Amino acid sequence: MALIELTDVTKRYTVGAQEIRALDGINLKIDRGEYCAIIGPSGSGKSTLMHLLGCLDTPTTGRVVIDGVDVSRASDGRLAEMRNEKIGFVFQAFNLLPKFTVLDNVELPMIYSGKSAKERRARAIAAVERVGLSERMKNTPLQLSGGQMQRVAIARALVNDPKIIFADEPTGNLDSKTGATILALFRELSEQGRTIVLVTHDNEIAANAPRRIVIRDGRIVQNADNWHSGLRAAPSPQEAHT
Amino acid sequence: MNLWNSFYTGLREILSHKFRSVLTMMGIILGVASLLTTFALVEGLAKKSREMLNSLGGVETIRVFKKEPPREQVHIADLSPGITIADAEALREHATLITAVAPVYEQSATLEHGEADYRYTIRGVWPEHVIVQNHKITAGRAICQLDLDEAAKVCVIGSRIVQELWPKDPNVQPVGQTILVNSRPFTVIGVLEHYESEDAKRARKEGRPVPPSRYGSRFDPYSRKNSTFLIPFTTMFFEFKSAGGIGSSGSSSPIPSFSSSKSNSSTKDDPGPNYRLDELAFHITDPQKMAEAQAEAHKILLASHRGIEDFEFENRVEWSEGIEKQNTQIKLVGGIIASIALIVGGLGITNIMLASITERIREIGVRRAVGAKGTHIFVQIIIEGTVLAVIGGLAGLVAAFGLLEIIEQATSGDSQGIVNTQAALASFIFAVVIGVVSGIYPAWQASRIPPIEALRYG
Repeated sequence: MALIELTDVTKRYTVGAQEIRALDGINLKIDRGEYCAIIGPSGSGKSTLMHLLGCLDTPTTGRVVIDGVDVSRASDGRLAEMRNEKIGFVFQAFNLLPKFTVLDNVELPMIYSGKSAKERRARAIAAVERVGLSERMKNTPLQLSGGQMQRVAIARALVNDPKIIFADEPTGNLDSKTGATILALFRELSEQGRTIVLVTHDNEIAANAPRRIVIRDGRIVQNADNWHSGLRAAPSPQEAHT
Repeated sequence: MNLWNSFYTGLREILSHKFRSVLTMMGIILGVASLLTTFALVEGLAKKSREMLNSLGGVETIRVFKKEPPREQVHIADLSPGITIADAEALREHATLITAVAPVYEQSATLEHGEADYRYTIRGVWPEHVIVQNHKITAGRAICQLDLDEAAKVCVIGSRIVQELWPKDPNVQPVGQTILVNSRPFTVIGVLEHYESEDAKRARKEGRPVPPSRYGSRFDPYSRKNSTFLIPFTTMFFEFKSAGGIGSSGSSSPIPSFSSSKSNSSTKDDPGPNYRLDELAFHITDPQKMAEAQAEAHKILLASHRGIEDFEFENRVEWSEGIEKQNTQIKLVGGIIASIALIVGGLGITNIMLASITERIREIGVRRAVGAKGTHIFVQIIIEGTVLAVIGGLAGLVAAFGLLEIIEQATSGDSQGIVNTQAALASFIFAVVIGVVSGIYPAWQASRIPPIEALRYG
């Protein structure tokens, strides 16, 4: 069974008298261990789709099933539990808490899953080491570079050992060289068997992922394997560095 | 998310905005300080009143006073002998709710010792007098029944009399010495404690000058009590009261009784023995049974007064209740005013927290994204408010002591506050409750923000 399964999902917003269809009849399956990119121009609905996949929001109609749990009508508390246990987020703006140290930031998800202080500390250290920042554990995010901040964010996404990692434009605020190292880290994680969903508007970045889902005006227009569609033929400039 | 973590987070949030937090807490600090100060000052006043009440014999003491008989008895008022020793005897004999009866004969007399001589009011008393007037003996012994039976020329004296009669010798032991009372030698058998207010006692111990009494030396109850000069009741009668002329013995009975009062107006020239008491007081067993004891005494005295109601009782229950009632009222009014200050402090917390939520909306979004539920956010904000209130409350308690010290200095020791744990705890808990309540609205607001909006913000 698929890890993520969307059936006839729509999401509508009403802004004033106008109704906006952010998503319109989405059907999608993502399997365990897949690395896929959701790609589309801004306003296409890709962020809305990621919010639904990431249990940050619920659809207007249709079904969203994640790891066997139907979250389409789940309560706020249930969604929070899903985010906590099964999902890790990496954002474009990093979204670290500026007053907290690197370790404290990485510990944050575990605070809400009720792990003991000792276990939190141990796992946070392991996660920070995993992204190669063992030297910077006691620093605050403001003392780090953009790439390092994104690594902290990835460590935070990994620390609760989630089923899926969602990355929303993870390289958007980084220069291309640093972005490439971050993408390399994702590929590494993917090779270790994690399910990764990358949201981007950039074709070149999307080319990192074996599978691409192109979305436009709230509909999926292309859902294909990069290898089969031939886009893989020309390596991206980022790949040249890795 | 455990409590300690929330507490820690709250503390960190407060520490990261030190100045703002102190300003926010100021309302709570001043509120708690004024609340506790009010309670403490009222408690100080109440304690002073209670001390004085106790020094006057406490609430168990009832005094009997002469009064005009009612109109329908005026024409037969002469039938009543007035308040006499017979009343005291009747009460001692028949009353069941009375533990001690204290009749008093008073007489002004000259006391002499060596070169010192003074005029004082001397009092002839029963042994029970010590109980009724709450006297304490520091040296020697009290007057006993044997002294009365023998009409012994002995006396028990107060500290001020010791000072006056032995002016050059502050460490004198007067017990066993002889003094002259209207030229008759009396042996000192006991010395009473030096009575003073708690303030005066403390001042003396610390070596500070004793503050002057606020009643003036003439009306100061302590000073009056220290001037006590007691001799046996019978001695008083035989030496000073038994006839108009000093020194002549007029009665054949050693203990005067009601039956012999017939001779009271036998001759016009010599008024004869005077049986009328100058004071009559008694001590009841239980202040709860004040009314019953008084009713019983009323019945007994009515019999010994031949049905003429020319006496009345005065007890200190009403006085004491008046004091307590007044204290409660001051406490209530002061408490309400101070509570308003505390509530304003709480509103300050609400205001600041609402502002800080807008500032921290991104943080809320991040916390939500990694799995915080709305309730987690709610609890976090509530705890932050509570931590502010707890710290503010503790600081307020400390500030209260400073405030009390300032007030004491400003009134040169006249207004002293007494901080009791109960009042401190009540003020503190009130502050914490205010803290929790003032966090509710901001916390509810914060917990309602949808995660995606919180993430998108800024």
